[in-house]
Amino acid sequence: MMDSGELETLELELLVEAVRRRYGFDLRNHARPLLLRRLRRHLREERLESFSALQGQVLHDAEAMDGLLRALACPPEALFSEPAFFSAFRARVVPVLRTYPSIRVWHAGCGSGEDTYALAILLMEEGLWGRCRLYASDASEGLLADARSGVLALPTEQDVRNYQEAGGRRSLSDYYTRDGDWAVVHPALRDAIFFTQHNLATDGSFNEFQVVLCRDTLLSFNRSLAGRVHERLYESLARFGFLCLGRKESVARTPHAAAYEQLEGTGRVYRRSA
Amino acid sequence: MSPLGLLVVGAPRGASAEVEALLASLSPRLSVPVLLALHRGPHDLLAMPLGRRCPLPVLEPDDKEELVGGRVYLAPAGYHLLVDRDSLCLSREPAEHGQRPAIDPLFESAADAYGPAAAGLLFGEHEDGWAGMSALRARGGHVAVVGEGQPVDGVERVPLSEVRNWLARWAHAPRMKVQP
Repeated sequence: MMDSGELETLELELLVEAVRRRYGFDLRNHARPLLLRRLRRHLREERLESFSALQGQVLHDAEAMDGLLRALACPPEALFSEPAFFSAFRARVVPVLRTYPSIRVWHAGCGSGEDTYALAILLMEEGLWGRCRLYASDASEGLLADARSGVLALPTEQDVRNYQEAGGRRSLSDYYTRDGDWAVVHPALRDAIFFTQHNLATDGSFNEFQVVLCRDTLLSFNRSLAGRVHERLYESLARFGFLCLGRKESVARTPHAAAYEQLEGTGRVYRRSA
Repeated sequence: MSPLGLLVVGAPRGASAEVEALLASLSPRLSVPVLLALHRGPHDLLAMPLGRRCPLPVLEPDDKEELVGGRVYLAPAGYHLLVDRDSLCLSREPAEHGQRPAIDPLFESAADAYGPAAAGLLFGEHEDGWAGMSALRARGGHVAVVGEGQPVDGVERVPLSEVRNWLARWAHAPRMKVQP
């Protein structure tokens, strides 16, 4: 007899195989506990009985697949949701960037764009926007479309406090126009960001960057895939370039750990030194 | 019965003094990893105070750290703590019951990854943790609520002073008979 847990495991494996053969998306290297949680939540939201039911839907309907990719993505956080990172970036990275004539920045795994816009605001305030090229990528077309639209949840009072804590120099509302419960980011910011589809799990490096942001995106991957992605991030980073990870992510167990130096007092900003 | 492979502990913020007492009472020879989800705000420094009296090292892990027996892993502020088979895994999913870290995600992942080899201790009086505890129980894990009093919803209650003995019940595989 198979118990319900074993049955669910079997159904999960069949679903993963179906997604891979039908769409080429490989979920086998996602962090298993996270994958299970997100899929179970997706089932509840879609009112589906089982992973098998989801499998049937996904196989026959490409839109259901995009819904699934959204469910698997990192859910959006507010603008400047991690103020300590942005203030450290201002204090430690910006002064170095000022000495560069041109700067290429890659935000890998931008999701629906909150962190991308926060970074763009920061670069604009620091007078670097004119010589920056900001590329933002994600695997999900749906999320990218959201990000590209520049429509975000209206910032709350907490968001405004975070912005100030992040060293914000103006008023956060200078950067968007209010539309009901939404904030529409000003075109000067939005139109200068290159949003492009890129799957960290399968696609190669596409340029060389002075700054790579990849924060809390690798949490979704298992150790072997995260290692491969780190290989790619390393290849994409210019020598002496900056790699910005999430507060609880590290390069310690990655293939190029020895090539990075952690900047003091910044949480997890690394500089490629070799 | 499978020998114990993991201990998960969940507690609301109000129970942090009891959690400190629990950690202090753990055996220094405990051979399994302990994972702890304690409700907390973004600026609480907990690992230090909680570790003061604990005979085992208490640390806030990075993502994908390997699990080592005899260590206490505290869920970092702003992240859910989950467990895979031999490593742990952090998540930035939305708060549950208004909490991140929350208890349910930890207990549910322990149920998936360890089932009957997991033991779970819950400190009471918060809605967060009950769903996780029933998931763990459904997978054959050993669960109890810490504190004096009547059993709750059919779940055993263990006084703080008895936790060590309660753990010892699961910590050792029954000795095999020696064949003559």
